[in-house]
Amino acid sequence: MSRYLYEKDLVAMKYAILISTRHDRLVREIAGDLGISHQNLRRYMIERFDMILMENLPARYEAGKAETGNDAPLADALGRVLYTRYIPLLERERMNAILGQVREMIENGTPQEEAVSRGKRLIGEELRP
Amino acid sequence: MSILQSFKNLVRSRSIHVAYVDVGSCNGCDIEVLACLAPRYDIEQYGIYVHNNPREADILLVIGAYTPGWEDKLQGLWEKIPDPKVAIAIGNCPISGCVFNRPHSYVNPPVSKHIPIAAQVPGCPPRPTEILQAVLSLAPEVFKDYERRKK
Amino acid sequence: MKKTVDVSIPIGPVHPCFKEPARVKCETRGEYVLSAECELGYMKKGIELIMRGRPWQEVMFLAERICGICSVIHNMVFIEALEKISDIPVPERGSLLRVIVNELDRMQSHILANFSYCYTIEHETLGMYLLDIRESAMDELERITGARVTCAYIVPGGVRFDLRDEDAVHLRASLEIIERDMKRYIGMFEGGPLIALRSKDVGVLTKESAKEAHAVGPTARASGMPETDMRLHHPTYQKLNFKPVFRTEGDNFARIMVRFEEILQSIDLIRRCLDMLKPGPIRGGGIPSAGETVYRGEAPRGELSYYVKTDDAGRIVDISVQTPSIMNIEACTHYMLKGVASLADVPSTFISADPCIACTER
Ligand code: SF4
Repeated sequence: MSRYLYEKDLVAMKYAILISTRHDRLVREIAGDLGISHQNLRRYMIERFDMILMENLPARYEAGKAETGNDAPLADALGRVLYTRYIPLLERERMNAILGQVREMIENGTPQEEAVSRGKRLIGEELRP
Repeated sequence: MSILQSFKNLVRSRSIHVAYVDVGSCNGCDIEVLACLAPRYDIEQYGIYVHNNPREADILLVIGAYTPGWEDKLQGLWEKIPDPKVAIAIGNCPISGCVFNRPHSYVNPPVSKHIPIAAQVPGCPPRPTEILQAVLSLAPEVFKDYERRKK
Repeated sequence: MKKTVDVSIPIGPVHPCFKEPARVKCETRGEYVLSAECELGYMKKGIELIMRGRPWQEVMFLAERICGICSVIHNMVFIEALEKISDIPVPERGSLLRVIVNELDRMQSHILANFSYCYTIEHETLGMYLLDIRESAMDELERITGARVTCAYIVPGGVRFDLRDEDAVHLRASLEIIERDMKRYIGMFEGGPLIALRSKDVGVLTKESAKEAHAVGPTARASGMPETDMRLHHPTYQKLNFKPVFRTEGDNFARIMVRFEEILQSIDLIRRCLDMLKPGPIRGGGIPSAGETVYRGEAPRGELSYYVKTDDAGRIVDISVQTPSIMNIEACTHYMLKGVASLADVPSTFISADPCIACTER
């Protein structure tokens, strides 16, 4: 584990970024999509992202939304590209595992919509502390 | 006056090293300081060198309205500069906070609360010639006979 | 970010090459950069928070002070967003004058960016030449608007001052000089073997990564994305038959060259505007009304977008600014710096994306 010896605590400044209009709207949208509270998502982002990535989240989200349609339809519905590459919330392996679970659910007879929304819940579970 | 002192005065008058630090400006003053480097104003003909290295600086130009990120850093930077040293505030921002000094903003001006400021150049932004003039008129005041006055 | 190795080299916040404070942390193996991240927080002034609840007459000046280098475009985009909300028409002469001032501003900003790059790769001669020619552009800006920086030239419904005929003559003469010198400097930059060694194939940004980070402006256009130029959607530029310049290499060299070519293009655009100028009013009337909109314009560094919401009295209820440097610095730290062969190239690659920290943090 590497630690910076003279690094200040950046949480307050990162929080200041996340409360601007665009960011707030984005965080609430993603949190609603994944079914977790926005405070939880904020905390997760503050822990994992560096500041410039945080500033750029709205633009990346926009680009990620425009990119949908190039992946497999099910993966797209789950937001695989969006949540692993554009907004790097999850590792790709974890995402693929969740995708496998969703596929399984569909094979076992769950309707697609419900399976996808349950898959999103699972992504949300990953982000909880 | 000893020969050594007059020799020091002579040398110092033609070698002033300047560093600038931006503590939360809008960049307007920043580029006006940079414009001083341009051959039009030619800061180097007066023996002023802009290095932006605090360890060898004599004059620190402070630009900007002091944001929270500098709380532990500006003081440290000021201590790194060897004596004799002097700080000049460039622009309205370090003097009063300019347009940023309003409720809800993060800034904490004036900068003179945090480090000693010897001169101020108001303007939003000041012209390069004014910055140049300030540096040139302040330098002899500070550096001439520094050792003798210290005693 | 996940740590892959233990060696982490911080650069900044005070660094001889950086004009503004930013902290770039590079994870390296030997000199090879494995990944980088950038921490900000040295310039956060909270302008958006100050702007809320203030009348537009005040916000106009605050908007200008988001970035002092490209102050004209911040002024222009904010005012045009207001005009879009409240349907204020702009007379033809006014809109052409806006383009002239905006292009002059773009010229000086690009020259400054290229100066910083030359300075960072220690080519001081070319840097000083560029800084000298920049003063001519600044003079013209001052002659037209009355101030070098933060000139507040654009107001709802038009512009503040007219361009006098003798000033137009002077402007043309200056453009002549700038164009002549610029061509020479571009030749120097293109032909310099050492410059090529320091710049070509360094800090490559592929088109895919540029899309992922939503890169904009010259940074994106050097990676082969001409459609990112917002001037294509601006009515006055459409009238001028504007075509963006672009390159496909995506390295430091391409980014600097795109900026050089855009300077020549700006000169051309100003000339065309001057040809089209007809006598007439420069400022119409209108009252800002309630509404909300998202308006995008092309700053020197790329797409600048303002989300503005106003009330009946012309006060700003809500505002959010997305500046181009955000996207470009992000693309730079997370994609360009990855795989840079030596630490000496880190500052120069960082500067080649033309970072402006003041507007990144606002
Ligand atoms: S004084 Fe004015 S131009 Fe200078 S940094 Fe402050 S706001 Fe910008």
